[in-house]
Amino acid sequence: MTVASFRSPGLFALVVVALLLAGLAGVFWGTADLTWDDRYKALFRLPDAKPALQLIVWEWRLPRVLMVALVGAALTLAGLLMQALLRNPLADPYLLGLSSGASAAAAAAIIWLPGVFVSVIGLPMLAFGGAMLAFLVALGLSFSPGRNLDRLMLILSGTAVSLFFQSITAFFLHIAEPHVTQQALQWLMGSAAGTKWPDLLPLAVTLPLLAIVAFLCAPMLDAVLLGDERATALGVPVGLLRIGFFSAAALLTGLAVAAAGIVSFVGLIVPHLARLLIGATHRWLIPLALLIGAIVLVLVDLLCRTVLAPQELPLGVLLALFAAPPFIIILRRMRRGV
Amino acid sequence: MASEPILQVSGVSLRKGRATLLDNVSFALERGRFYGLLGPNGAGKSSLLKILYRAEAASAGGIELDGRPVHALGRRVYAARVGALVQEKVSLSGMNLLEVVELGLLPLALPSREVRERAGEALRMIDLSHRAGEDAAHLSGGEQQRLFFAQLLALNPDIYLLDEPNNHLDLHFQYKLLDIVKRRQRTVLASFHDIGLAVRYCDEVMLLDGGRLVGQGAMAKVLDRRSLAETYRVDGSFTDGRLEIAGPV
Repeated sequence: MTVASFRSPGLFALVVVALLLAGLAGVFWGTADLTWDDRYKALFRLPDAKPALQLIVWEWRLPRVLMVALVGAALTLAGLLMQALLRNPLADPYLLGLSSGASAAAAAAIIWLPGVFVSVIGLPMLAFGGAMLAFLVALGLSFSPGRNLDRLMLILSGTAVSLFFQSITAFFLHIAEPHVTQQALQWLMGSAAGTKWPDLLPLAVTLPLLAIVAFLCAPMLDAVLLGDERATALGVPVGLLRIGFFSAAALLTGLAVAAAGIVSFVGLIVPHLARLLIGATHRWLIPLALLIGAIVLVLVDLLCRTVLAPQELPLGVLLALFAAPPFIIILRRMRRGV
Repeated sequence: MASEPILQVSGVSLRKGRATLLDNVSFALERGRFYGLLGPNGAGKSSLLKILYRAEAASAGGIELDGRPVHALGRRVYAARVGALVQEKVSLSGMNLLEVVELGLLPLALPSREVRERAGEALRMIDLSHRAGEDAAHLSGGEQQRLFFAQLLALNPDIYLLDEPNNHLDLHFQYKLLDIVKRRQRTVLASFHDIGLAVRYCDEVMLLDGGRLVGQGAMAKVLDRRSLAETYRVDGSFTDGRLEIAGPV
Protein backbone atom coordinates (compact mmCIF):
# COMPACT_ATOMS: atom_id res chain seq x y z
CA MET A 1 0.00 0.00 0.00
CA THR A 2 1.29 3.44 -0.85
CA VAL A 3 1.44 6.09 1.83
CA ALA A 4 -0.63 9.15 1.41
CA SER A 5 -1.93 8.92 -2.10
CA PHE A 6 -3.86 12.10 -1.26
CA ARG A 7 -0.70 14.10 -0.67
CA SER A 8 -1.24 16.98 -3.05
CA PRO A 9 -1.90 20.72 -3.13
CA GLY A 10 -5.42 19.81 -4.25
CA LEU A 11 -6.20 18.27 -0.87
CA PHE A 12 -5.05 21.40 0.93
CA ALA A 13 -7.10 23.61 -1.38
CA LEU A 14 -10.12 21.43 -0.69
CA VAL A 15 -9.61 21.59 3.07
CA VAL A 16 -9.11 25.37 3.07
CA VAL A 17 -12.33 25.79 1.07
CA ALA A 18 -14.09 23.46 3.51
CA LEU A 19 -12.85 25.56 6.43
CA LEU A 20 -14.11 28.77 4.80
CA LEU A 21 -17.49 27.18 4.07
CA ALA A 22 -17.74 25.83 7.62
CA GLY A 23 -16.86 29.28 8.94
CA LEU A 24 -19.49 30.97 6.76
CA ALA A 25 -22.07 28.41 7.85
CA GLY A 26 -21.11 29.08 11.47
CA VAL A 27 -21.49 32.82 11.04
CA PHE A 28 -24.70 32.90 9.01
CA TRP A 29 -26.72 29.85 10.08
CA GLY A 30 -30.18 30.88 11.20
CA THR A 31 -30.30 33.96 9.01
CA ALA A 32 -31.99 32.12 6.18
CA ASP A 33 -34.47 34.87 5.32
CA LEU A 34 -31.67 37.25 4.34
CA THR A 35 -30.06 37.58 0.94
CA TRP A 36 -26.35 36.91 0.37
CA ASP A 37 -26.04 40.56 -0.54
CA ASP A 38 -27.14 41.58 2.98
CA ARG A 39 -24.86 39.00 4.55
CA TYR A 40 -21.91 40.15 2.48
CA LYS A 41 -22.52 43.77 3.47
CA ALA A 42 -22.76 42.86 7.17
CA LEU A 43 -19.63 40.71 7.08
CA PHE A 44 -17.53 43.46 5.52
CA ARG A 45 -19.25 46.26 7.46
CA LEU A 46 -20.24 48.17 4.37
CA PRO A 47 -22.03 51.49 5.00
CA ASP A 48 -25.50 50.24 3.94
CA ALA A 49 -25.40 47.00 5.98
CA LYS A 50 -28.36 46.12 8.20
CA PRO A 51 -27.27 47.28 11.72
CA ALA A 52 -28.93 44.36 13.55
CA LEU A 53 -27.30 41.76 11.34
CA GLN A 54 -23.96 43.48 11.52
CA LEU A 55 -24.21 43.43 15.31
CA ILE A 56 -25.04 39.74 15.38
CA VAL A 57 -22.26 38.85 12.98
CA TRP A 58 -19.56 41.00 14.54
CA GLU A 59 -20.40 40.82 18.23
CA TRP A 60 -21.71 37.25 18.49
CA ARG A 61 -21.04 34.96 15.61
CA LEU A 62 -17.62 35.87 14.28
CA PRO A 63 -15.70 35.82 17.59
CA ARG A 64 -17.37 32.56 18.51
CA VAL A 65 -16.60 30.83 15.22
CA LEU A 66 -13.00 32.04 15.30
CA MET A 67 -12.66 30.87 18.88
CA VAL A 68 -13.87 27.33 18.23
CA ALA A 69 -11.64 27.16 15.16
CA LEU A 70 -8.65 28.20 17.28
CA VAL A 71 -9.56 25.78 20.07
CA GLY A 72 -9.97 22.91 17.59
CA ALA A 73 -6.61 23.60 15.96
CA ALA A 74 -4.86 24.14 19.32
CA LEU A 75 -6.07 20.85 20.83
CA THR A 76 -5.20 19.05 17.60
CA LEU A 77 -1.66 20.41 17.71
CA ALA A 78 -1.35 19.47 21.39
CA GLY A 79 -2.53 15.90 20.69
CA LEU A 80 -0.40 15.54 17.59
CA LEU A 81 2.77 16.61 19.40
CA MET A 82 2.12 14.26 22.31
CA GLN A 83 1.38 11.33 20.01
CA ALA A 84 4.60 11.90 18.06
CA LEU A 85 6.84 12.37 21.08
CA LEU A 86 5.42 9.37 22.94
CA ARG A 87 5.03 7.29 19.75
CA ASN A 88 1.65 6.46 21.21
CA PRO A 89 -1.58 6.89 19.26
CA LEU A 90 -3.59 7.23 22.47
CA ALA A 91 -1.66 10.21 23.82
CA ASP A 92 -3.87 13.24 24.04
CA PRO A 93 -4.18 16.26 26.36
CA TYR A 94 -7.34 14.78 27.82
CA LEU A 95 -5.91 11.30 28.52
CA LEU A 96 -2.66 12.60 30.03
CA GLY A 97 -4.56 14.71 32.55
CA LEU A 98 -3.65 18.12 31.12
CA SER A 99 -7.25 19.05 30.44
CA SER A 100 -8.31 17.97 33.93
CA GLY A 101 -5.47 19.95 35.51
CA ALA A 102 -6.42 23.01 33.52
CA SER A 103 -10.11 22.71 34.36
CA ALA A 104 -9.45 22.10 38.07
CA ALA A 105 -7.39 25.27 38.13
CA ALA A 106 -10.11 27.13 36.25
CA ALA A 107 -12.88 25.79 38.51
CA ALA A 108 -10.88 26.84 41.55
CA ALA A 109 -10.44 30.25 39.99
CA ILE A 110 -14.13 30.71 39.27
CA ILE A 111 -15.47 29.35 42.55
CA TRP A 112 -12.89 29.80 45.22
CA LEU A 113 -9.98 32.12 44.46
CA PRO A 114 -10.40 35.85 45.21
CA GLY A 115 -11.67 37.72 42.15
CA VAL A 116 -8.83 40.24 42.23
CA PHE A 117 -6.24 37.50 42.09
CA VAL A 118 -7.95 35.83 39.15
CA SER A 119 -8.37 39.05 37.22
CA VAL A 120 -4.71 39.98 37.71
CA ILE A 121 -3.26 36.64 36.58
CA GLY A 122 -6.03 35.78 34.17
CA LEU A 123 -7.96 32.56 33.69
CA PRO A 124 -5.82 31.42 30.71
CA MET A 125 -2.59 31.59 32.70
CA LEU A 126 -4.17 29.80 35.68
CA ALA A 127 -5.45 27.06 33.38
CA PHE A 128 -1.99 26.75 31.79
CA GLY A 129 -0.53 26.46 35.29
CA GLY A 130 -3.00 23.66 36.07
CA ALA A 131 -2.22 21.81 32.83
CA MET A 132 1.53 22.14 33.41
CA LEU A 133 1.22 20.99 37.01
CA ALA A 134 -0.81 17.94 35.95
CA PHE A 135 1.76 17.13 33.30
CA LEU A 136 4.70 17.48 35.71
CA VAL A 137 2.99 15.24 38.27
CA ALA A 138 2.26 12.64 35.57
CA LEU A 139 5.89 12.88 34.44
CA GLY A 140 7.17 12.62 38.00
CA LEU A 141 5.04 9.55 38.71
CA SER A 142 6.30 7.75 35.63
CA PHE A 143 9.94 8.72 36.05
CA SER A 144 12.47 6.37 37.52
CA PRO A 145 16.08 7.55 37.83
CA GLY A 146 18.60 6.21 35.35
CA ARG A 147 15.98 4.80 33.02
CA ASN A 148 14.32 6.12 29.92
CA LEU A 149 10.78 7.37 30.17
CA ASP A 150 8.35 4.46 30.05
CA ARG A 151 5.66 5.55 27.63
CA LEU A 152 2.98 3.25 28.95
CA MET A 153 3.67 4.33 32.53
CA LEU A 154 3.23 7.95 31.48
CA ILE A 155 -0.21 7.25 30.03
CA LEU A 156 -1.24 5.37 33.19
CA SER A 157 0.11 8.13 35.44
CA GLY A 158 -1.75 10.64 33.28
CA THR A 159 -4.97 8.75 33.84
CA ALA A 160 -4.38 8.71 37.61
CA VAL A 161 -3.57 12.41 37.63
CA SER A 162 -6.64 13.06 35.54
CA LEU A 163 -8.86 11.29 38.10
CA PHE A 164 -7.26 13.23 40.94
CA PHE A 165 -7.87 16.61 39.32
CA GLN A 166 -11.40 15.64 38.37
CA SER A 167 -12.13 14.98 42.03
CA ILE A 168 -10.72 18.39 42.93
CA THR A 169 -12.99 19.96 40.34
CA ALA A 170 -15.93 18.02 41.74
CA PHE A 171 -15.05 19.23 45.24
CA PHE A 172 -15.10 22.87 44.15
CA LEU A 173 -18.38 22.38 42.34
CA HIS A 174 -19.82 20.79 45.47
CA ILE A 175 -18.88 23.60 47.88
CA ALA A 176 -19.99 26.40 45.57
CA GLU A 177 -23.34 28.22 45.55
CA PRO A 178 -25.82 26.36 43.32
CA HIS A 179 -26.01 29.06 40.67
CA VAL A 180 -22.22 29.34 40.51
CA THR A 181 -21.99 25.56 40.20
CA GLN A 182 -24.47 25.61 37.34
CA GLN A 183 -22.49 28.32 35.60
CA ALA A 184 -19.15 26.58 36.13
CA LEU A 185 -20.56 23.23 35.05
CA GLN A 186 -21.90 24.64 31.83
CA TRP A 187 -18.54 26.16 31.05
CA LEU A 188 -16.64 23.01 32.02
CA MET A 189 -18.63 20.87 29.61
CA GLY A 190 -17.38 23.01 26.80
CA SER A 191 -18.87 26.07 25.20
CA ALA A 192 -17.64 29.08 23.33
CA ALA A 193 -20.89 30.98 23.79
CA GLY A 194 -20.40 34.62 24.68
CA THR A 195 -16.84 34.86 23.36
CA LYS A 196 -15.69 38.47 23.07
CA TRP A 197 -12.99 39.67 20.71
CA PRO A 198 -10.32 40.17 23.42
CA ASP A 199 -10.84 36.55 24.57
CA LEU A 200 -9.38 35.42 21.26
CA LEU A 201 -6.04 37.10 21.84
CA PRO A 202 -4.13 34.45 23.85
CA LEU A 203 -4.79 31.62 21.38
CA ALA A 204 -4.58 33.83 18.30
CA VAL A 205 -1.02 34.75 19.26
CA THR A 206 0.18 31.47 20.77
CA LEU A 207 -1.22 28.95 18.31
CA PRO A 208 0.36 30.33 15.09
CA LEU A 209 3.72 30.76 16.84
CA LEU A 210 3.80 27.21 18.19
CA ALA A 211 2.46 25.80 14.92
CA ILE A 212 5.34 27.44 13.04
CA VAL A 213 7.90 26.15 15.56
CA ALA A 214 6.43 22.64 15.27
CA PHE A 215 6.48 22.87 11.47
CA LEU A 216 10.14 23.90 11.51
CA CYS A 217 10.92 20.94 13.78
CA ALA A 218 8.93 18.54 11.57
CA PRO A 219 11.93 16.41 10.44
CA MET A 220 13.03 15.99 14.07
CA LEU A 221 9.52 14.85 15.01
CA ASP A 222 9.69 12.36 12.13
CA ALA A 223 13.02 11.08 13.46
CA VAL A 224 11.50 10.50 16.93
CA LEU A 225 9.00 8.15 15.24
CA LEU A 226 11.97 5.89 14.39
CA GLY A 227 12.80 5.46 18.09
CA ASP A 228 14.55 7.53 20.75
CA GLU A 229 17.96 6.00 20.24
CA ARG A 230 17.81 6.27 16.47
CA ALA A 231 16.71 9.88 16.72
CA THR A 232 19.54 10.58 19.17
CA ALA A 233 22.04 8.93 16.83
CA LEU A 234 20.73 11.26 14.11
CA GLY A 235 21.65 14.24 16.29
CA VAL A 236 18.13 15.06 17.52
CA PRO A 237 18.07 16.42 21.10
CA VAL A 238 15.21 14.11 22.05
CA GLY A 239 14.94 15.10 25.72
CA LEU A 240 14.90 18.80 24.97
CA LEU A 241 12.38 18.34 22.16
CA ARG A 242 10.12 16.39 24.51
CA ILE A 243 10.25 18.93 27.33
CA GLY A 244 9.72 21.82 24.94
CA PHE A 245 6.79 20.39 23.05
CA PHE A 246 5.10 18.90 26.12
CA SER A 247 5.19 22.39 27.62
CA ALA A 248 3.76 23.72 24.37
CA ALA A 249 0.99 21.12 24.55
CA ALA A 250 0.24 22.13 28.16
CA LEU A 251 0.10 25.78 27.15
CA LEU A 252 -2.25 25.09 24.23
CA THR A 253 -4.46 22.89 26.40
CA GLY A 254 -4.58 25.49 29.19
CA LEU A 255 -5.53 28.27 26.79
CA ALA A 256 -8.13 26.09 25.08
CA VAL A 257 -9.71 25.06 28.40
CA ALA A 258 -9.74 28.66 29.62
CA ALA A 259 -11.47 29.68 26.41
CA ALA A 260 -14.03 26.93 25.97
CA GLY A 261 -13.93 24.46 28.88
CA ILE A 262 -13.06 20.81 28.42
CA VAL A 263 -13.27 19.86 24.77
CA SER A 264 -12.34 16.19 24.75
CA PHE A 265 -11.30 13.86 21.94
CA VAL A 266 -10.40 16.47 19.31
CA GLY A 267 -6.71 16.06 20.12
CA LEU A 268 -7.05 12.30 19.87
CA ILE A 269 -9.21 11.80 16.80
CA VAL A 270 -8.25 14.59 14.40
CA PRO A 271 -4.53 13.75 14.13
CA HIS A 272 -5.53 10.16 13.31
CA LEU A 273 -7.93 11.26 10.63
CA ALA A 274 -5.26 13.49 9.11
CA ARG A 275 -2.69 10.67 9.28
CA LEU A 276 -5.04 8.37 7.38
CA LEU A 277 -5.33 10.98 4.65
CA ILE A 278 -1.74 12.10 4.36
CA GLY A 279 0.62 9.84 6.33
CA ALA A 280 2.74 10.57 9.39
CA THR A 281 5.36 12.86 7.86
CA HIS A 282 5.00 15.99 9.94
CA ARG A 283 5.65 18.67 7.34
CA TRP A 284 2.42 17.50 5.67
CA LEU A 285 0.59 16.29 8.75
CA ILE A 286 0.84 19.43 10.89
CA PRO A 287 -0.86 21.87 8.47
CA LEU A 288 -3.54 19.40 7.41
CA ALA A 289 -4.39 18.28 10.95
CA LEU A 290 -4.69 21.87 12.21
CA LEU A 291 -7.07 22.78 9.38
CA ILE A 292 -9.20 19.68 10.00
CA GLY A 293 -9.23 20.35 13.75
CA ALA A 294 -10.58 23.84 13.10
CA ILE A 295 -13.23 22.55 10.68
CA VAL A 296 -14.39 19.80 13.03
CA LEU A 297 -14.91 22.12 15.97
CA VAL A 298 -16.62 24.83 13.91
CA LEU A 299 -19.09 22.25 12.60
CA VAL A 300 -19.65 20.61 15.99
CA ASP A 301 -20.24 24.04 17.55
CA LEU A 302 -22.74 24.81 14.80
CA LEU A 303 -24.57 21.55 15.50
CA CYS A 304 -24.58 22.26 19.24
CA ARG A 305 -26.31 25.56 18.54
CA THR A 306 -28.86 24.22 16.10
CA VAL A 307 -29.87 20.70 17.16
CA LEU A 308 -31.99 21.79 20.13
CA ALA A 309 -32.32 25.48 19.19
CA PRO A 310 -32.93 27.83 20.90
CA GLN A 311 -31.21 25.74 23.61
CA GLU A 312 -27.52 25.02 23.27
CA LEU A 313 -25.78 21.70 23.84
CA PRO A 314 -22.30 21.68 25.38
CA LEU A 315 -19.54 20.89 22.88
CA GLY A 316 -18.46 17.89 24.93
CA VAL A 317 -21.77 16.07 24.48
CA LEU A 318 -21.76 15.95 20.69
CA LEU A 319 -17.99 15.48 20.47
CA ALA A 320 -18.09 12.39 22.65
CA LEU A 321 -20.91 11.04 20.49
CA PHE A 322 -18.95 11.55 17.26
CA ALA A 323 -15.62 10.50 18.74
CA ALA A 324 -16.67 7.16 20.20
CA PRO A 325 -16.69 5.16 16.91
CA PRO A 326 -13.27 6.39 15.67
CA PHE A 327 -11.86 5.91 19.17
CA ILE A 328 -12.90 2.26 19.09
CA ILE A 329 -11.38 1.86 15.62
CA ILE A 330 -8.06 3.27 16.85
CA LEU A 331 -8.07 0.87 19.80
CA ARG A 332 -8.73 -2.09 17.53
CA ARG A 333 -6.01 -1.02 15.10
CA MET A 334 -3.58 -0.68 18.01
CA ARG A 335 -4.41 -4.19 19.14
CA ARG A 336 -3.57 -5.49 15.69
CA GLY A 337 -0.33 -3.58 15.99
CA VAL A 338 -0.89 -1.41 12.91
CA MET B 1 54.31 5.40 13.86
CA ALA B 2 50.57 4.96 13.77
CA SER B 3 48.42 7.89 12.60
CA GLU B 4 46.47 10.03 15.06
CA PRO B 5 43.38 8.12 16.27
CA ILE B 6 40.07 9.37 14.90
CA LEU B 7 38.27 8.32 18.06
CA GLN B 8 39.83 8.03 21.48
CA VAL B 9 37.94 6.38 24.36
CA SER B 10 39.57 6.93 27.77
CA GLY B 11 38.52 5.24 30.97
CA VAL B 12 34.82 5.06 30.12
CA SER B 13 32.55 3.53 32.76
CA LEU B 14 28.79 3.16 32.89
CA ARG B 15 26.94 2.42 36.11
CA LYS B 16 23.21 1.93 36.53
CA GLY B 17 22.14 1.70 40.13
CA ARG B 18 24.49 -0.90 41.56
CA ALA B 19 25.24 -2.59 38.26
CA THR B 20 28.45 -1.74 36.45
CA LEU B 21 27.83 -2.13 32.74
CA LEU B 22 31.19 -0.78 31.61
CA ASP B 23 34.30 -0.60 33.72
CA ASN B 24 37.16 1.70 32.77
CA VAL B 25 37.22 0.92 29.04
CA SER B 26 39.94 2.60 26.98
CA PHE B 27 40.89 2.18 23.32
CA ALA B 28 41.60 4.17 20.20
CA LEU B 29 40.21 3.77 16.68
CA GLU B 30 42.52 4.51 13.80
CA ARG B 31 41.21 6.04 10.62
CA GLY B 32 40.01 3.64 7.92
CA ARG B 33 40.15 0.43 9.94
CA PHE B 34 37.35 -2.05 10.57
CA TYR B 35 37.06 -2.96 14.26
CA GLY B 36 35.00 -5.82 15.62
CA LEU B 37 33.42 -5.60 19.05
CA LEU B 38 33.13 -9.10 20.48
CA GLY B 39 31.94 -10.60 23.70
CA PRO B 40 29.23 -12.82 25.18
CA ASN B 41 25.71 -11.63 26.01
CA GLY B 42 25.73 -8.82 28.54
CA ALA B 43 29.42 -8.06 28.01
CA GLY B 44 28.61 -4.38 27.43
CA LYS B 45 28.86 -4.17 23.62
CA SER B 46 25.58 -2.34 23.15
CA SER B 47 26.20 -0.11 26.18
CA LEU B 48 29.54 0.96 24.75
CA LEU B 49 28.01 1.71 21.34
CA LYS B 50 25.16 3.64 22.99
CA ILE B 51 27.68 5.86 24.71
CA LEU B 52 29.46 6.37 21.40
CA TYR B 53 26.27 7.43 19.60
CA ARG B 54 25.37 9.52 22.64
CA ALA B 55 22.15 7.80 23.68
CA GLU B 56 23.80 7.17 27.06
CA ALA B 57 26.11 9.40 29.04
CA ALA B 58 29.19 7.73 30.50
CA SER B 59 29.38 7.78 34.31
CA ALA B 60 33.11 8.39 34.04
CA GLY B 61 35.78 8.82 31.41
CA GLY B 62 35.91 10.75 28.18
CA ILE B 63 35.69 10.39 24.42
CA GLU B 64 37.54 12.49 21.87
CA LEU B 65 36.79 12.80 18.18
CA ASP B 66 39.88 14.01 16.30
CA GLY B 67 41.33 15.18 19.59
CA ARG B 68 38.28 17.22 20.58
CA PRO B 69 36.16 16.18 23.56
CA VAL B 70 32.81 14.90 22.34
CA HIS B 71 30.71 16.82 24.85
CA ALA B 72 32.06 20.04 23.33
CA LEU B 73 30.66 19.08 19.91
CA GLY B 74 27.05 19.80 19.01
CA ARG B 75 24.81 16.75 18.66
CA ARG B 76 24.17 17.41 15.01
CA VAL B 77 27.83 18.03 14.13
CA TYR B 78 28.77 14.81 15.88
CA ALA B 79 25.93 12.84 14.24
CA ALA B 80 27.07 13.99 10.81
CA ARG B 81 30.50 12.40 11.40
CA VAL B 82 29.58 9.42 13.58
CA GLY B 83 26.61 7.43 12.26
CA ALA B 84 25.02 4.47 13.97
CA LEU B 85 22.98 1.42 13.09
CA VAL B 86 20.88 1.06 16.23
CA GLN B 87 19.16 -2.00 17.67
CA GLU B 88 15.79 -0.66 18.73
CA LYS B 89 12.41 -2.21 18.10
CA VAL B 90 9.95 0.17 16.54
CA SER B 91 6.76 -0.12 14.54
CA LEU B 92 6.86 2.28 11.65
CA SER B 93 3.74 3.52 9.97
CA GLY B 94 2.63 6.42 7.90
CA MET B 95 6.02 7.06 6.32
CA ASN B 96 7.17 5.65 3.02
CA LEU B 97 10.51 3.92 2.53
CA LEU B 98 12.17 6.83 0.77
CA GLU B 99 11.13 9.24 3.54
CA VAL B 100 12.62 6.98 6.21
CA VAL B 101 15.94 6.77 4.35
CA GLU B 102 15.91 10.55 3.82
CA LEU B 103 15.73 11.01 7.58
CA GLY B 104 19.16 9.41 7.76
CA LEU B 105 20.52 12.58 6.17
CA LEU B 106 19.01 14.79 8.88
CA PRO B 107 22.39 15.73 10.41
CA LEU B 108 23.70 17.13 7.12
CA ALA B 109 21.09 19.80 6.22
CA LEU B 110 21.52 19.21 2.48
CA PRO B 111 19.38 20.72 -0.28
CA SER B 112 16.29 18.56 -0.84
CA ARG B 113 17.32 17.47 -4.34
CA GLU B 114 20.58 16.00 -3.05
CA VAL B 115 18.75 14.36 -0.14
CA ARG B 116 16.42 12.66 -2.60
CA GLU B 117 19.28 11.50 -4.81
CA ARG B 118 21.40 10.09 -2.02
CA ALA B 119 18.42 8.38 -0.37
CA GLY B 120 17.33 6.91 -3.71
CA GLU B 121 20.84 5.58 -4.32
CA ALA B 122 20.93 3.99 -0.84
CA LEU B 123 17.50 2.46 -1.42
CA ARG B 124 18.89 0.82 -4.60
CA MET B 125 21.77 -0.66 -2.60
CA ILE B 126 19.32 -2.46 -0.32
CA ASP B 127 17.19 -3.60 -3.30
CA LEU B 128 14.06 -1.80 -2.15
CA SER B 129 13.88 1.05 -4.67
CA HIS B 130 10.92 -0.54 -6.46
CA ARG B 131 8.96 -0.11 -3.23
CA ALA B 132 10.12 3.44 -2.42
CA GLY B 133 6.57 4.83 -2.08
CA GLU B 134 5.24 2.03 0.09
CA ASP B 135 4.27 2.42 3.74
CA ALA B 136 7.17 1.27 5.94
CA ALA B 137 4.59 -0.40 8.22
CA HIS B 138 4.46 -3.40 5.90
CA LEU B 139 8.14 -4.32 6.10
CA SER B 140 9.44 -7.53 7.64
CA GLY B 141 12.10 -7.40 10.36
CA GLY B 142 14.89 -7.96 7.87
CA GLU B 143 13.55 -5.39 5.45
CA GLN B 144 13.33 -2.85 8.28
CA GLN B 145 16.95 -3.54 9.19
CA ARG B 146 17.94 -2.99 5.54
CA LEU B 147 16.03 0.29 5.56
CA PHE B 148 17.92 1.56 8.62
CA PHE B 149 21.14 0.34 7.03
CA ALA B 150 20.26 2.43 3.99
CA GLN B 151 19.96 5.53 6.20
CA LEU B 152 23.56 5.01 7.23
CA LEU B 153 24.74 4.26 3.69
CA ALA B 154 23.12 7.50 2.50
CA LEU B 155 24.80 9.48 5.29
CA ASN B 156 28.19 7.81 4.78
CA PRO B 157 29.76 9.15 7.99
CA ASP B 158 33.45 9.11 8.90
CA ILE B 159 32.79 6.51 11.58
CA TYR B 160 30.21 3.72 11.27
CA LEU B 161 28.93 2.30 14.56
CA LEU B 162 27.09 -0.95 13.82
CA ASP B 163 25.23 -2.72 16.61
CA GLU B 164 24.87 -6.30 15.36
CA PRO B 165 24.52 -5.26 11.73
CA ASN B 166 23.60 -8.77 10.56
CA ASN B 167 20.57 -8.94 12.86
CA HIS B 168 17.46 -10.18 10.98
CA LEU B 169 19.33 -10.05 7.65
CA ASP B 170 19.40 -13.03 5.33
CA LEU B 171 22.80 -14.32 4.16
CA HIS B 172 22.77 -12.34 0.92
CA PHE B 173 22.29 -9.00 2.63
CA GLN B 174 24.66 -9.79 5.51
CA TYR B 175 27.48 -10.02 3.00
CA LYS B 176 26.23 -7.46 0.52
CA LEU B 177 25.78 -4.60 3.01
CA LEU B 178 28.93 -5.24 5.02
CA ASP B 179 30.88 -5.54 1.76
CA ILE B 180 29.64 -2.08 0.77
CA VAL B 181 30.72 -0.65 4.13
CA LYS B 182 34.10 -2.37 3.91
CA ARG B 183 34.72 -1.04 0.39
CA ARG B 184 34.15 2.51 1.55
CA GLN B 185 37.24 2.25 3.77
CA ARG B 186 35.79 4.33 6.57
CA THR B 187 36.38 3.69 10.24
CA VAL B 188 33.99 1.02 11.48
CA LEU B 189 33.20 -0.31 14.93
CA ALA B 190 30.77 -3.22 14.67
CA SER B 191 29.53 -5.66 17.29
CA PHE B 192 29.21 -9.26 16.14
CA HIS B 193 27.86 -12.47 17.53
CA ASP B 194 28.84 -14.33 14.39
CA ILE B 195 32.60 -14.89 14.65
CA GLY B 196 32.78 -16.15 11.07
CA LEU B 197 31.42 -12.85 9.80
CA ALA B 198 33.75 -10.92 12.10
CA VAL B 199 36.76 -12.80 10.68
CA ARG B 200 35.85 -11.77 7.16
CA TYR B 201 35.56 -8.05 7.87
CA CYS B 202 37.57 -7.04 10.93
CA ASP B 203 41.13 -5.75 10.79
CA GLU B 204 41.22 -5.91 14.53
CA VAL B 205 38.86 -6.94 17.35
CA MET B 206 38.13 -5.82 20.86
CA LEU B 207 36.90 -8.38 23.34
CA LEU B 208 34.57 -7.27 26.13
CA ASP B 209 33.65 -9.38 29.10
CA GLY B 210 31.60 -8.24 32.10
CA GLY B 211 32.00 -4.61 31.07
CA ARG B 212 35.78 -4.76 30.85
CA LEU B 213 37.97 -4.70 27.79
CA VAL B 214 39.89 -7.97 28.08
CA GLY B 215 41.64 -8.06 24.75
CA GLN B 216 42.43 -6.02 21.68
CA GLY B 217 44.35 -6.82 18.54
CA ALA B 218 44.39 -9.34 15.74
CA MET B 219 41.58 -11.82 16.00
CA ALA B 220 43.72 -14.98 16.24
CA LYS B 221 45.66 -13.40 19.07
CA VAL B 222 42.66 -12.11 21.03
CA LEU B 223 40.57 -15.26 20.64
CA ASP B 224 43.04 -17.85 21.89
CA ARG B 225 42.00 -21.05 23.63
CA ARG B 226 42.15 -19.44 27.08
CA SER B 227 40.10 -16.33 26.28
CA LEU B 228 37.53 -18.42 24.39
CA ALA B 229 37.10 -20.54 27.50
CA GLU B 230 36.98 -17.57 29.89
CA THR B 231 34.72 -15.20 27.97
CA TYR B 232 32.65 -17.28 25.57
CA ARG B 233 32.78 -20.42 27.74
CA VAL B 234 33.51 -22.69 24.79
CA ASP B 235 36.31 -25.08 24.09
CA GLY B 236 37.67 -23.89 20.81
CA SER B 237 40.68 -22.66 18.95
CA PHE B 238 41.57 -20.44 16.05
CA THR B 239 43.34 -22.18 13.21
CA ASP B 240 43.99 -20.92 9.68
CA GLY B 241 41.60 -18.01 10.14
CA ARG B 242 38.77 -20.28 11.23
CA LEU B 243 37.23 -20.84 14.60
CA GLU B 244 36.82 -24.50 15.48
CA ILE B 245 34.59 -25.14 18.47
CA ALA B 246 34.56 -28.52 20.20
CA GLY B 247 31.72 -27.65 22.60
CA PRO B 248 30.74 -25.66 25.68
CA VAL B 249 33.09 -25.58 28.63
